[in-house]
Amino acid sequence: MRHNVLTNDKQVGTPLLRILLIDDDQQRADSITSVLNNSRYKVIHLASPDMALLKQVDDIKPDIIVIDIESPSRDILDSLSTISHYNPKPVVMFSAQEDTNTINQSIASGVSAYVVGDLEPERVKPILDAAVARFREYQKIKTELSDTKQQLASRNTIDQAKRLLMKKKKLSEDEAFKAMRKTAMDTGQKLDDVAKTLISLLDNF
Amino acid sequence: MITPEQTNLTLGFIPLTDSAPLIVAKNMGFFEQWGLDVKLQKQNSWSTLRDKLHAGLLDAAQMLAPMPLASSLGLRCTPTKVITPLVLSLNGNAITLSEKLHQEVLKDNGLSEVTLPLAAYLLQQVISVRKQQKRPKLKFGTVFPYSCHYYQLKDWLASANITELDVEIMVVPPVNMVGFLESGEIDGCCVGGPWNAKAVRAGIGLTALTSFDIWQDSPEKVLGLLDSWQKKNPNTVLALSAALKQACNWLETIPNRFEAARLLSAEQYLDASTDVIAPSLIGSCLTHVNLPPRAIPSYNQFSKANNGSINVPEYIRGEWLLSQMEKAGQLSGVEVPNDLVKNVFRPDIYQQMRLHLEDIS
Repeated sequence: MRHNVLTNDKQVGTPLLRILLIDDDQQRADSITSVLNNSRYKVIHLASPDMALLKQVDDIKPDIIVIDIESPSRDILDSLSTISHYNPKPVVMFSAQEDTNTINQSIASGVSAYVVGDLEPERVKPILDAAVARFREYQKIKTELSDTKQQLASRNTIDQAKRLLMKKKKLSEDEAFKAMRKTAMDTGQKLDDVAKTLISLLDNF
Repeated sequence: MITPEQTNLTLGFIPLTDSAPLIVAKNMGFFEQWGLDVKLQKQNSWSTLRDKLHAGLLDAAQMLAPMPLASSLGLRCTPTKVITPLVLSLNGNAITLSEKLHQEVLKDNGLSEVTLPLAAYLLQQVISVRKQQKRPKLKFGTVFPYSCHYYQLKDWLASANITELDVEIMVVPPVNMVGFLESGEIDGCCVGGPWNAKAVRAGIGLTALTSFDIWQDSPEKVLGLLDSWQKKNPNTVLALSAALKQACNWLETIPNRFEAARLLSAEQYLDASTDVIAPSLIGSCLTHVNLPPRAIPSYNQFSKANNGSINVPEYIRGEWLLSQMEKAGQLSGVEVPNDLVKNVFRPDIYQQMRLHLEDIS
């Protein structure tokens, strides 16, 4: 197994972003590595097909994976996204042979993969910078979306519990809300959880 | 005779024994006979083959039977209408255990030799011994999430109530499978030829059973192409299907099968020895370096199985594959249109092609 770690040890301060580079072409890998050497990236190069890919991903915990689209390891990487203990990470795929614009359109939008043309050393850094930025933006939007969904869901639950209280206990809206808030404060629970308990209790009567 | 709209085609294939119909059609002049100039392009991964087909970089491809359904549903890809006018092969896969797991099966069950096809319950003891000794779970490799290999492996394990809670299943490209078995990265795998025979010849594994021992005569590879491409080039699709159907028919006899093994062994195709390609093609399942091969006449089927032509992309086959995807939990939260199978499996194109084929014979 060829396994080269080349990093710029002089650079301290901001943590380096670890790149797992999967490429058969040793020359290309070397030149990419040397270009990135003086930046915030640290390149770990694996030639494919590599037996230890999954273990490497586990050990290295790369911040970004760069892979030749022709590598057989692509199927392994694709399947990683379904394994929950692997955190999502940006994947940059490159192709030395194909029209990458057409392929790019066919790769699932929202998947953290971006296809670029051949990785010419002078272009590689801005490409990686952009990929990392896009990925972070995408993750942020995804988190915000799921937060918003969560908030909407809990607002609905609270409304439902309030209406049940008003109906079954003949309380005004204000009284119902205050009763729930008091229970939450007294028991140290979230308002949302109190509402859920109330619904399951009151719905049975 | 058909006049194809597009005559220069690029077809994608993964170097496997059951890519035989494509390679035979090319080398026996069947494509030419239908007015097609076909370039076969070797692919290294199923995901990349799929993406290139979706992007139109490949005009058509040999695909795993569930893939056109997965593409149309947009499972881990942008939804893209892929159709199949032709089933290319049945069966062809096998489950191979590493030599280490083979020895564990013998030791933990107090056996001196295994009976083949291997019953999955013999793994139960290995699983519980490993659990007691706090050793890692057994790991199995399969070639793609939407593959019969994955469903067959799950079915075999399920026959002994073994689930993915007891063992780990991961995706490994066929080309890496034998290496992973040897290095111990996986303990067993479900893969197509020539990889099982390769593992056996190298003394790396025991082929415990073939996919024919699990499912009889299930579709394995299909011809996949874009619905939009078919609409634009209906005659090209007929010509392509006819040439491939001829190749499938040609592959019916054992003497031809051996010739096919020689064609496949070339560097631009499988780049492997006939030693590992020929056996499954002539109905022999290599089992272990110290054990005799098993006779599995239907190991690779390309045209006639017991009940007539296998190449028709019948709806019932599509429905059945869809039910396997469902069973594997791959359709949870996925909206499956009622007419999905009818839009993907296209016996109508097949029937039209048959008429042209009869014209020339």
